[in-house]
Amino acid sequence: MAGNTTVLIIDDDDDFRTAVRALLESRGFTVVEAASGQEGLALLTECRPDLILLDVMMECSTEGYGVNQAIKWREEYRDFRHIPIVMVSSIQESPDQLFPMAGEVDMIRPDFYVTKPLDIPAFLATVQKALESASHHRSQPG
Amino acid sequence: MSSAPAQTVPAPSIVVIDDDPAMRLSCRKILDKSGYRVETFEDGASGLEGVERLKPDLVIVDLKMPGISGLEVISRVLEADPSAVIVVITGYATIDTAVEAMKAGAYDFLPKPFSPDELRIIVQRGLERRRLMLEARRQELERELLRRRFVTFVSHQLQTPLAAVHQYLNVLRQLEDDSEGAARRREWYERCLKRVEEMLALIRNWLTLSAIEGQCLAQQRVPVDLNSIVASVLEECRALAEPEGIRLEARPAPEGCLCLGDPVCLRVLLENLVSNAIKYNRPGGRVEVAVQPVEGELELSVSDTGLGIPKQYQPFLFDEFFRVRQPGAAGKPGAGLGLAIVKRIVAELGGRIEVSSEPGQGSTFRVRLPAAPSGVPGVASECAEHRSDPSLWPVPSREAESRSR
Repeated sequence: MAGNTTVLIIDDDDDFRTAVRALLESRGFTVVEAASGQEGLALLTECRPDLILLDVMMECSTEGYGVNQAIKWREEYRDFRHIPIVMVSSIQESPDQLFPMAGEVDMIRPDFYVTKPLDIPAFLATVQKALESASHHRSQPG
Repeated sequence: MSSAPAQTVPAPSIVVIDDDPAMRLSCRKILDKSGYRVETFEDGASGLEGVERLKPDLVIVDLKMPGISGLEVISRVLEADPSAVIVVITGYATIDTAVEAMKAGAYDFLPKPFSPDELRIIVQRGLERRRLMLEARRQELERELLRRRFVTFVSHQLQTPLAAVHQYLNVLRQLEDDSEGAARRREWYERCLKRVEEMLALIRNWLTLSAIEGQCLAQQRVPVDLNSIVASVLEECRALAEPEGIRLEARPAPEGCLCLGDPVCLRVLLENLVSNAIKYNRPGGRVEVAVQPVEGELELSVSDTGLGIPKQYQPFLFDEFFRVRQPGAAGKPGAGLGLAIVKRIVAELGGRIEVSSEPGQGSTFRVRLPAAPSGVPGVASECAEHRSDPSLWPVPSREAESRSR
């Protein structure tokens, strides 16, 4: 499954990226790293990832949600909309708590959500599930 | 003079509850004339409805009414809005009834009969009280919001390094021991250690800040010889400056110029400023620390020849967890607590701090401190070592976290 699969890690913590990269590479994934949301968005065209691992809190703000929203809703990223996003954070609040306004939360609700530090078996299972959901989605007509 | 409310904001609204039609009429006439919005009600029940609907700035209520009593009106209005301001009108100006009403939470009382001026004055005072109460509540809410945001940030700052270390160890355990295994393990152990140290320093800084908040940091107000503290802090920071080829220079104050403060705090303050000046300098740059008497106070300034701080960031520089985002500053270790500590120490010592900075040229931090009366011997920094709980002090500047900008 992992064969030719590229994962884009967007996270401002060098050490977290290093550890997760080693883990994913040991499982046969190709890994591309971005240290900020902006860098991550810029890399999309170049690396065409199959999955995005996206940190919520970067530079003390919930920038990750902005990136998630941009990919899912902004016109210029329409080609990347189908890419499953796994959001990662060490903050315990769910998106519903962070964004209490009704409606708002549906715009930014991540496809998948895991917390730091990653529980490795659970994380790998989530990655698998996310990739399967995407291939399923793409094989649907329309 | 009756204060006619400004036209741009709606006039304050007042609800009058009294079963006596003559009293309602005269209150309305007097207060209308002063420009307030007035609604009157003839009993407690309709009055309470009116208060709920109009949310007035002031409620005037008669104590003796048939049906729901004035006292009950008071307690029910306050139950719905604890910052409501209520003035009681009492026909029998006995101390007892007034005291009872005040105990129930009324703001003031007005014995019948009263003159128009007496009513106007008490209404003005009541409205001022209302304004203060609303302002206090607004500030309270703001503080609560800040506090909650703060807790989120602190826990994030604490969890991030811990999560990184955990992740390294956890992944290490999972990885096969291939040819690169040993080298990787060594490198990751080093990185783990760095993150753990970063976190220890953060916790120490954090404790220092809480200690200042609890007002237990600056325990002394003694004449302090800043020159000697400057000399010893510069000596201590030399190891940090030398690898970058940064020169440290002191311009001491004339002999006998002392400031009034706590030597331990002043040392922490200086350590933070000097290590920042080194950290955000350019290689081969210069740090100058000057002490001089200015306008009856003592001025301590720390200048660097570094990156400088863009104008738009300067107002937030002393905020907890604020860090300047600009090329060159990224990757410098720090959590944004150093200058927050400096600011609190300065405030506690009754001084003030300002920064002037030119991007690309460098920054200067100027601290003004109260001067000590002349002719007293100064305390040098040595007594810093005798403070009872050294675990509360920030780590020496060599460690990663003690400084931040």
